[in-house]
Amino acid sequence: MERSSRVAVAFAALAAPCVAMAAWTKSYVVEWNEPAMYYGAKTGVIDPGTDCPRGTNPEIDWVKVLMDAGYTREEAEWLRNPANPTRSAVHGQNQMAFRGKDRANVYVNPTSTPDPGLIGVSGTLAEGIDLDGNPKTGFTSPHGERGIDNNFYKTVGCWKTYRGPRRLSSGALQFNDSMRNGAWTTVIVIVGKGNDPMNDEQVTVGFYVSADKMVKDGNGNIARDYTFSIKPDAKYEAIFPARVTNGLIASTKPVSGVLREPAYWPDLELERAQIKLTMQPDGSLTGYVGGYRPWRDVYQGWVNARGPVIEALTWVQLPAVYYALRRNADYSPSGARGEKTHISYALRIDALPAFVMTPDASQQAAVVDSYKSLAPPGSTRMARVIPRVIDGLYIDPNATHQAGPDAVILPPPNVANANQ
Amino acid sequence: MQRLLVGIASGGRTFMTKTISVWALFGATLLGVIAAGAATPGPAQSPAMKVGVRRITETQYRHTIADVFGPAIRLEARFEPERREEGLLALGSAMLSLTSSGFEQYFALARSISAQVLNEKGRGIAVACEPADASKADDTCARQFVAQYGELLFRRPLASAEIESRVKTAGLGGNQAGDFYAGLELALTSLLVAPDFLFRIESAEPDPADPQNFRLDAYSKATRLSFLLWDTTPDADLLAAARSGAIHAPDELEQQVERMIASPKFRDGASAFFADMFQMDGFGNLVKDPAIYPKFNQSVAESAREQMLLRTLDLLVTRQSDYRDLFTAHDTFINRSLASVYAVPYASKQPWMRYEFPQESERSGILTDIGFLSLHAHPGTSSPTRRGIKVLEIFMCQATPQPPANVDFSAVQDSTKGTVRGRLLDHMENEGCSGCHRRTDPLGLALEHFDGLGQLRTMENGAPIDVSAELKDVTIEGARGVGEYLRNEPRVPACLVRNVYSYGVGVKTYGRDKAYLAAQTQAFIASGYRYPALVRLIATSPEFFRVIAPKARSSKPVAEATVTQLQSTAE
Amino acid sequence: MKLRFDRRSVLKGILGGSAVHVGLPVLDAFLNTNGTAFASGAPLPVRFGTYFWGLGLTDTPTGGTRWVPTTVGPGYELMPELEALASLKDKVSVFSGFRAIGDGRANLVHWTGHASILSGVAPASASKFDAPSFDTKVADAIGASTRFKSIDIDASVSRQPVSYSTRSGSTFASPDATPLALYHRLFGPDFQDPNGENWKPNPSIMLRQSVLSAVTEQRHALMKGLGKDDQLKMDQYFSSVRDMENQLAVQLQRPEKAEACVVPQAPNDPTRISSVDVVNANTKVMAKLLAMGLACNQSRVFTFVHTSGASETYLAGQSKIYHQITHDEPTDAKLGYQPESSKLAGEVMKGLGAFLTELDAIKEGEGTLLDNSIVLAFSDTGYAKIHAIENIPMFLAGRAGRRHKSGQHIAGKGDSVTRVSLTAMQLAGAPIGEFGVGSMKTTNPISEVMA
Repeated sequence: MERSSRVAVAFAALAAPCVAMAAWTKSYVVEWNEPAMYYGAKTGVIDPGTDCPRGTNPEIDWVKVLMDAGYTREEAEWLRNPANPTRSAVHGQNQMAFRGKDRANVYVNPTSTPDPGLIGVSGTLAEGIDLDGNPKTGFTSPHGERGIDNNFYKTVGCWKTYRGPRRLSSGALQFNDSMRNGAWTTVIVIVGKGNDPMNDEQVTVGFYVSADKMVKDGNGNIARDYTFSIKPDAKYEAIFPARVTNGLIASTKPVSGVLREPAYWPDLELERAQIKLTMQPDGSLTGYVGGYRPWRDVYQGWVNARGPVIEALTWVQLPAVYYALRRNADYSPSGARGEKTHISYALRIDALPAFVMTPDASQQAAVVDSYKSLAPPGSTRMARVIPRVIDGLYIDPNATHQAGPDAVILPPPNVANANQ
Repeated sequence: MQRLLVGIASGGRTFMTKTISVWALFGATLLGVIAAGAATPGPAQSPAMKVGVRRITETQYRHTIADVFGPAIRLEARFEPERREEGLLALGSAMLSLTSSGFEQYFALARSISAQVLNEKGRGIAVACEPADASKADDTCARQFVAQYGELLFRRPLASAEIESRVKTAGLGGNQAGDFYAGLELALTSLLVAPDFLFRIESAEPDPADPQNFRLDAYSKATRLSFLLWDTTPDADLLAAARSGAIHAPDELEQQVERMIASPKFRDGASAFFADMFQMDGFGNLVKDPAIYPKFNQSVAESAREQMLLRTLDLLVTRQSDYRDLFTAHDTFINRSLASVYAVPYASKQPWMRYEFPQESERSGILTDIGFLSLHAHPGTSSPTRRGIKVLEIFMCQATPQPPANVDFSAVQDSTKGTVRGRLLDHMENEGCSGCHRRTDPLGLALEHFDGLGQLRTMENGAPIDVSAELKDVTIEGARGVGEYLRNEPRVPACLVRNVYSYGVGVKTYGRDKAYLAAQTQAFIASGYRYPALVRLIATSPEFFRVIAPKARSSKPVAEATVTQLQSTAE
Repeated sequence: MKLRFDRRSVLKGILGGSAVHVGLPVLDAFLNTNGTAFASGAPLPVRFGTYFWGLGLTDTPTGGTRWVPTTVGPGYELMPELEALASLKDKVSVFSGFRAIGDGRANLVHWTGHASILSGVAPASASKFDAPSFDTKVADAIGASTRFKSIDIDASVSRQPVSYSTRSGSTFASPDATPLALYHRLFGPDFQDPNGENWKPNPSIMLRQSVLSAVTEQRHALMKGLGKDDQLKMDQYFSSVRDMENQLAVQLQRPEKAEACVVPQAPNDPTRISSVDVVNANTKVMAKLLAMGLACNQSRVFTFVHTSGASETYLAGQSKIYHQITHDEPTDAKLGYQPESSKLAGEVMKGLGAFLTELDAIKEGEGTLLDNSIVLAFSDTGYAKIHAIENIPMFLAGRAGRRHKSGQHIAGKGDSVTRVSLTAMQLAGAPIGEFGVGSMKTTNPISEVMA
């Protein structure tokens, strides 16, 4: 081993820091989060069920789609053949973008092609929160609560990447894997003024991000009781006034806030957001954060992840997603008559007990305050999950063929024959 | 010849500026002229006795390479396992040799080190002379290099034969590869795999003041001092004291010891000693059942080891405090991983922080550190017997005999019905078992509020755990009780004294050492139980350099390595 | 100690354009093992190894046995704890009833048993043997012509790497304790593919030899003035140096082609868990690497530890370790033995089954690698609950190139375990006529299993 390092040792305050502000504090780290999707089948991930009677949206016949868009059969089959040079094993077939009217790029301009029709959820059950206070609008929760507003689920709940039981949909697996391996960390601080954490009328719940990575235990699960410091962020922060009744924490007032979402569009900007969280006997915290989010962001996130790849891997036509989201959007921030730019949504979270400290790590966070003012400038910029994607396509400058509205599809006959 | 002398004396760098000696050339001898006076070839290996051969440990190897060649040299290898004898690896090293696979490792390591030392960047720093033609061999420069580094690595000057065989190798390689430095690499590799480097070979010479008896030669003394105080090869200052013979004088010895205790390297020496005494090996391979202790991982294991060392060194070296506090102090060090095992918040951005448990907490002293508790336990449960055995062995120098072969446990309960305590109390009733278990188990039972990972738990299988224990006529309650017991037990400081001594001289202690050790223990206690004072006491005592002739053991009277001068200053 | 090769032989080689005279060993000497080496048409070499597992097998004084077959001789029936060996039964001989005899020395628990098997004498203190382990003798006899004299492996995922191979009795070999480490030793940068084209001797190897000669030249001066114990240490050191010189010399020879040799991919290391299923999986991976290493002639001798004596393995999900269970578990009145312990014994034997299967999976000549090998598999104890060193389970697996009349059950009736050790040595082709000390001294191998 190396020479013992001259360790920089910090003197800490006493073991149990003074929490003068609140009478009780509980803090957690989010070990799993995914859009709340109620799964109505018995087994599997794509089977027909009460949510989607015909199962998940089926795999798409792309040759037909291209022919409908005006390509010849020969061209369509050429484009879909994996062996052909215009198709990248990693980034897909860029020419797929150009199937709108006059070969417009449908990722950028989804309405340039007719609505292919994304089949949504037709069941009556959904998970989430009653955002508009109206029990008549929305779904019924699996426990019988009425008025659950979750049109996002209604729209995409039969789409392969979102559908599945808890923790089993392919989208959730992919993003949570990344989060749990250190891509980002979300922490929760709950403080109450009363004496009983299970029953308290004056509770505040704060969602923050941390630069400290989660640690996995010997079984591959996230380990409990690790310490995380709040990282002040100009964007990611949400503070909810709430009450707790027999261990169930519910919002007393809707707020605006931004969470880090496990998705290609990482900013989950919520209007009229509320929480519904349950403190479990084993010390963990589970529940929902709901609110209205800008639906265009969701669409754009998928486009930014490379349209051709998403369409092929998740069995969807992205313009259909656009149309469907627009159709189901159910909120306008500017009032009942404004354009419905937002859609009701719920994020399901599971969190484990953790110690959450103030940004300087000197003591446990004992109040739920905003740290935005401490955030360094420039942290409002959103991270690009996949770099170098323009207009939904990964452009390889060294490629011999570039896709486009005027691209020649088929090679000259002698070359085509040589490739047989 | 003259030209050669002048040319070399005026050029090149001098390394050891303290003493410069120039050897005149006589005839066509093999001796080269070396302007940097330090590395003069010593006399041919004397016919005197070689009184000890001990393989150097991994940390000693690493420290030596870092001191001689600089900390940038990377060592990636698997070192041969060491062996613990009577509680110390230092004693086991005297029994070890090298297996074929071990030698393979050292050989590969030597090649890697040589390549790094003599690469394009390193050779400017490492090689004091310039070859006449860098694409060919140059015996003169090679000789200088070999003599210089040979002395640093062998911890004594090289004999001419030892130098010449490496010069020959360097020449062969240099000419064949067309690169002088490639030849030097071979020569350096050869030094690094030599037994004189890999083993500490201690020599004794006839004592000039008392020719019937022997004393350790100067370089052997320097080596003993250096390995005890700094866990590394003697530095230039110490080598100079050896070369001139000054080290035999008590004044010089005391001065050196003071210098070495005051140096930051003393911490490394202490770290190596306590890592040995506290048996802190095995963390690298520690295995726990993830279903039962999910929080355990390699990072936790390494942190647990580091924690024990940090606590010990902070108390004993940085603060120079009372050794007995080790067993009762409520403050320790933690990092983020350990904080999760202790389930406390980690209030710092630094990698480690000092942490104080409340006065009423059961966490008090080194025995309640996660390292000790988890190392001496099973993969899925605690083990009071193991912990008890180790407390006695490590801190009180009391070994526990092997269990008898024909033991039958049919009377023992199934562990899901009661506590571990219930099972073990049965041992204490069983005649064949009670002799040992009555000594070992109580100490472990008192630590039962800590599970196999060292986490606090007060219930087991639905029943509260009783941590009171009877040890002869003393009742011990919980971990704090064990700490207090060790604090007041006279065998504890005596054990530390014995270990420092045995560690330093590499020899087990016997009945004849009793008086000496008792005296040192008294002095240690009088110093306020301070570790640096203890090291000073031992290192400056005549017994530290005593010589024992290899074949005979206890019958011969011990040849104390002193002159009459030393005897008169000793108490 | 006699050097294996003659230093005075000089080969004039042309290296890098200039003539270089370097002392090279005469290599015929090495290839003189059991008659012939790899000249085409010659018999394939016999490989030898030991396989150790901890805590024996179930056989209680009250009469419950779960491993000793009821019949003696060929065609023994498969007992419950030996089920893992079912598919290889014909290649495995079972030895029951052999014991270690202490001649007054105490039975050091989880030590005396296998120390007696390996060194021929009950040791005076735990953690030491009083004589070298016999695998080193076999290695000396048949292992000189390969790059490694012996490969030592520890699959047990233990705190300290475990090996029971020793030349001095106090220094034990450092085994490869992970698949990746084993892979690097066998197939790492110094590996020369025996089937590779364009083989050329590597000039840097000759230079490495000169590095070692600079060391060995000092031997005489070094040994002068050393006490006896220290001389022994230095002897072992120089013997290790010689092994390295031998390795280098072998690498300067063009290797014989080895049909069965296919260089494998680097493996992944398993997570460090010591439950028996993981240890068995680890055993399988390391056995596979070892088998290929043997097929590629990197070594002819190996020692393998599955679990150490008093092993700490356990059934996944349970908190009690195997060792503790053997002591704590009451004997079932009806069954006559400890059911949990027996279950664990069966699980542990799966390791041996997997190990032998990997050796049997490599086709070599008309049979398999296992057919050309002889493996002595044994444990530290008979009835573990009482640390009995009677009836220590021992097996000889592999046909030793048809020398071993395998598939028999031999009842020892209280004979010394050293008889089985001696049999193993002779089946491996080592010219050893006598083994053991005191009551365990024997010149009498078990001829029933020798062709």
